[in-house]
Amino acid sequence: MANLWQKLIKHDGNGWWNLPHTAANELNPPYEGPIGGAWFGNIWRVLTHGGVAHAGPGFYWLVGLALAIITLLEVWLFGVEGLGGWYVPILLGLSALKFVGVVAFFMHLRFDNRLFTYLFASAMIIGILIFSLLLIFAEVAHQPPN
Amino acid sequence: MTQAAATEHHEPVENTSTGLNSRKLMMWAFLGSDVMFFGAFIATYLVYRGKSLVGPYPNEILNIPVTSVSTFVLLMSSLAMVLGLHYVKAGEKNKGTLWILVVVVLGAVFMGFQFVEFREFAHEGLTPRTNIFGTTFFILTGIHGAHVTIGVIWMAFLAYGSHKGSLRPDSALDLEIAGLYWHFVDIVWIVIFTVIYLISATDGPPPGMETILHG
Repeated sequence: MANLWQKLIKHDGNGWWNLPHTAANELNPPYEGPIGGAWFGNIWRVLTHGGVAHAGPGFYWLVGLALAIITLLEVWLFGVEGLGGWYVPILLGLSALKFVGVVAFFMHLRFDNRLFTYLFASAMIIGILIFSLLLIFAEVAHQPPN
Repeated sequence: MTQAAATEHHEPVENTSTGLNSRKLMMWAFLGSDVMFFGAFIATYLVYRGKSLVGPYPNEILNIPVTSVSTFVLLMSSLAMVLGLHYVKAGEKNKGTLWILVVVVLGAVFMGFQFVEFREFAHEGLTPRTNIFGTTFFILTGIHGAHVTIGVIWMAFLAYGSHKGSLRPDSALDLEIAGLYWHFVDIVWIVIFTVIYLISATDGPPPGMETILHG
């Protein structure tokens, strides 16, 4: 039993359960910076004097400031009249920005192994699909019969 | 990325099938399942949104300015968390301990805000049994509050460990895993704040009920 456990946890061969090695070759490209694209990569290299794979405290403070500003913007929008049908989409967009900011930079998904990103993104996509269907079915169920 | 580059970036290659640390992978898998858990309660809230037949309704009771402050507090606790992890990894023990303590304090402040809010709502006549808004609201925010409570206790232990010197750069993964949990609690609140507070705060009685209620 202990042997099987060791094989499952430490297995390094060619069994069907053998997942690809990702730590050595699937990390996000080094020195790419927190946001993809050549231009952002160059800016990141200049800002960090050559580029680092992980961000430092200065960058985290910037992300924290951005999150605080977005929250202020959301609260300000709450008091703005006349947005009509734009109010909910704008708020959802700002909320998504904050969500991505925390997940990508504070949770290090941007800098970490891509398998973690795939795992979390899969859960998010499945969750959003299932619960969107639930909301659609609930809406249909509440329609008065013809 | 080469082995040398991986070492340079302090990313040890684990001797597992994935090359990743099993505990960290487990935490991400758990967070994936927690997405479903919270998703179910958020979707339930939305399904029953605006269907309460008796008050108090969201537009009578939700206090956006106060909740905005508690949201800001939780966001800043995430910043403190990532700074704490950075300093623990860098071997700066005192700074690491300080920032983890800041996480504990900000988490406790958030819990305080929630306690006061729940007490206010109870005084206003809103409990989980009052109406469907009360039921879905208290279950969702209560479960989130329970997550925060667990996180605060977890962080308090880690702050103590850091102070005593048992949390070192070579064991920083303990803090990183706890940090993933803490940040997740933060992102769940980002969604709750938008959906329940900002979007639903103007919800009143369902159509037709106003006529019955106010003649």
